[in-house]
Amino acid sequence: MLREGRTPPDKTAPDVFDSRRSLVEAERCLYCFDAPCTSACPVHIDIPGFIAMIRSGNVRGAAWLVRSANALADTCGRVCPSEVYCQPACARAKQDAPVRIRELHLFATRSERRREFHVETASRTGKNVAVVGGGPAGLGCAFELAKLGHTVDLYNDGPPGGVPLKSIPPFRLPEEDLLHDTGILGRFFTAHDGTLDGLEFSSIAGSHDAVFVALGLGRDRPLGIPGEDLESVFPVLPFLETAKKRPHTLRIGSRVIVVGGGNVSLDAAATARRLGAAEVTLLYRRGERQMLVWSAELGEARRLGVEFRFLAVPLEILGTGRVEGVRCRSMRLSADSDDSGRPVPAEVPGSDFLLPADSVIVAIGQDVRAGWLTGLTRTKKGYIRVDGQFQTSMPGVFAGGDSASGEGTVVRSLADGKEAAHAMHGYIMRRG
Amino acid sequence: MTSEQHRGSETGPVRDLSYGLLGIQLENPFILAAGPSTDDIDMVRRAFSMGWAGAVLKTTSVEGTSVDLAYPMMSAFNHDGKLLFGMGNIDLISAHHVDRVESTVRTLKKEFPGKFVAASIMAGKKEDWQSLVERLENAGADLIECSFSCPQGNIGEDPGKMLAQSVAATELTARWVKEAARRIPVSIKITPHVTDIVDVARAVQKSGADALTASNSVQALMGVDVYTFVPNPPLGGRSTYSGLTGPAIKPLTLRTIAEIARNVSIPILGTGGASSWRDAVEFMSVGARCVQFCTLVMHHGFRVIDDLRSGLSNYMDDMGFSSPLDIVGKALPHIAVHDQLPRRRVRSVIDESRCIGCEVCYVACRDGGHGAIDRRESRIPVVDPERCVGCGLCPHVCPEACIALEGVD
Repeated sequence: MLREGRTPPDKTAPDVFDSRRSLVEAERCLYCFDAPCTSACPVHIDIPGFIAMIRSGNVRGAAWLVRSANALADTCGRVCPSEVYCQPACARAKQDAPVRIRELHLFATRSERRREFHVETASRTGKNVAVVGGGPAGLGCAFELAKLGHTVDLYNDGPPGGVPLKSIPPFRLPEEDLLHDTGILGRFFTAHDGTLDGLEFSSIAGSHDAVFVALGLGRDRPLGIPGEDLESVFPVLPFLETAKKRPHTLRIGSRVIVVGGGNVSLDAAATARRLGAAEVTLLYRRGERQMLVWSAELGEARRLGVEFRFLAVPLEILGTGRVEGVRCRSMRLSADSDDSGRPVPAEVPGSDFLLPADSVIVAIGQDVRAGWLTGLTRTKKGYIRVDGQFQTSMPGVFAGGDSASGEGTVVRSLADGKEAAHAMHGYIMRRG
Repeated sequence: MTSEQHRGSETGPVRDLSYGLLGIQLENPFILAAGPSTDDIDMVRRAFSMGWAGAVLKTTSVEGTSVDLAYPMMSAFNHDGKLLFGMGNIDLISAHHVDRVESTVRTLKKEFPGKFVAASIMAGKKEDWQSLVERLENAGADLIECSFSCPQGNIGEDPGKMLAQSVAATELTARWVKEAARRIPVSIKITPHVTDIVDVARAVQKSGADALTASNSVQALMGVDVYTFVPNPPLGGRSTYSGLTGPAIKPLTLRTIAEIARNVSIPILGTGGASSWRDAVEFMSVGARCVQFCTLVMHHGFRVIDDLRSGLSNYMDDMGFSSPLDIVGKALPHIAVHDQLPRRRVRSVIDESRCIGCEVCYVACRDGGHGAIDRRESRIPVVDPERCVGCGLCPHVCPEACIALEGVD
């Protein structure tokens, strides 16, 4: 039984290699030409290049190579999923096992933590660019724009950091790693703290040569069932945020039900266990194979003793004041598929059952929060519509990250920001 | 109990590897070279009991010779994760009194009459060389090896220079030694650091000496600390040249042995960089009659004899050889000068079924070859037979060994 205050290490987290272990691992790299790992990395870190530097004893050069390509280098060294992107692409996997690129990346950047990071910026263009949103996409964009020689204003409500700061649990991302990244990035832009409204946004757009909108999502989708207003029903984002900042104020009781089948729901379940909940049950309307999760995180949740109830939906949350239970219904997978290619679940009549619970965490997806963003065309799902060049429906306004493409990884958002910066650069310089 | 004590027949059956060399019966071709592993009688006892056929005891000299050791004496040349790819030492001859070496010979020969016990000597004056030979021969040594090639300079007329770097001095000194050895053979241990190894080898043969030991360590600077600029090994802010041994010098030794074997007829005791039974076979194939080991043992211990014996035994079975001597010289007919080499057109062929798509061959050929390998969408490169000249670079960079050279008709 897991008790509070005795937090086991997270098995999905990278191992922290020392220099000896790193050297041994680095020597496994084949130094592929035009390497598949680099192509698979969304921000295209020169992976064989930095690994060769570790091998030669030039760890500083290795760290520079990683950080100049990846604005949130330490953060990604922690949270980049090892089962997608670089490692599955590694040619060495065809010989025995992939090179543990994430661990080498983390070794390089962490080893050079105390050293100043300098990057050559292009000569000043005299152009001013605004970045609205201080999450991975916004930071990635601001960093790249600064390197291209532009002056960058970054608008964010609170300190920059986005999802990694607010809701990635500390057992997956130690805060010091993120703060080290954002501390470095702070030198590349002028930060403006505060919430925006439509008028302010128009004024920002008017006073800059281009704008990048990367507001993320931030609004939890509700279940839309009776009882959702009970005291111990938590939308997942505020839950994770509070669990990070003021865990002692959370009263979740001993039996927790998490609704949802994504990585965020797994984070919530693991967090609930770490907060001391004796029974944590994850409720998902489809089957295990339909979950959009990294298998390592699923394994970690299981290791922590999280129970899974697949093919089940909540119909009603019961209780007076606080949650006492959830009435659920079983589902089956129908022959029809949805947009994602997964089978659509259908209710099984007469299959209702009751799960006792002290609290419910709702993690069934998120929408774009900023209500004032009315001037930009949205997609069917409510995300900001952009073309292949990250251009929105409003000339000079670009968008990327989760608010344009839905929930993604930190590195995918960084890459959006980075690619958008180059598109914006082209746009600005063409206009002269 | 250590796993070493548990060894029994764990290496599998080992065939009879014995043969005669210079009138001495050797159990197998694997001999410990003069060095730290042969400076102590208990170490040699252990080596013998584990299967080593013989040992050349660490070099000794006459009473009163100063052996002023400086520490640390070892340094490493590590390459790409391979520790001790080369080893450097600034060791000197044995610090033990010659009396003790003499008694070691006597005791070992009594306890292990079937083992080959050689003494290595080094001196300056004629009477010193000769008195050492007499004493050690009388103690029962099977062979006298004379170090004409210690890289830390010689005891002699010309300090800082190795005796074997002078053809005339080599012949003269070898003659003195041979004169003194009445019953047992003498081998002269030479250095590869000469303008023409054949001149030196011929001088040894002319002197009447029975054999050559080829060859000693290679004088080297083991590396420099790029932050203090003190070379390795560092001794209070100073350093000196080391004797380089280990895998790094194997190709140099192979060439030295081959060149000697092609020009003189006296037996060669091979040494310098052999690290496996396969290396030993290579040494013998270019003319060595036995192979001495030092660095390998200093790195991994006497236990390596298990694989040396078993590997050689299995190899001989595969090849249908009945004696290790069957290997001696087998490679020599295949060595020719460049203008005698056949001119045959070859080109690279990639085994696509085994290629893992690293494209290392592509970049090597583009930037170091003839731009004859093309990339494809699949990442499986393809050789352009028109542009490939068959230089033979790409097979050596392929981590899957899936590139071969094929003849073109």
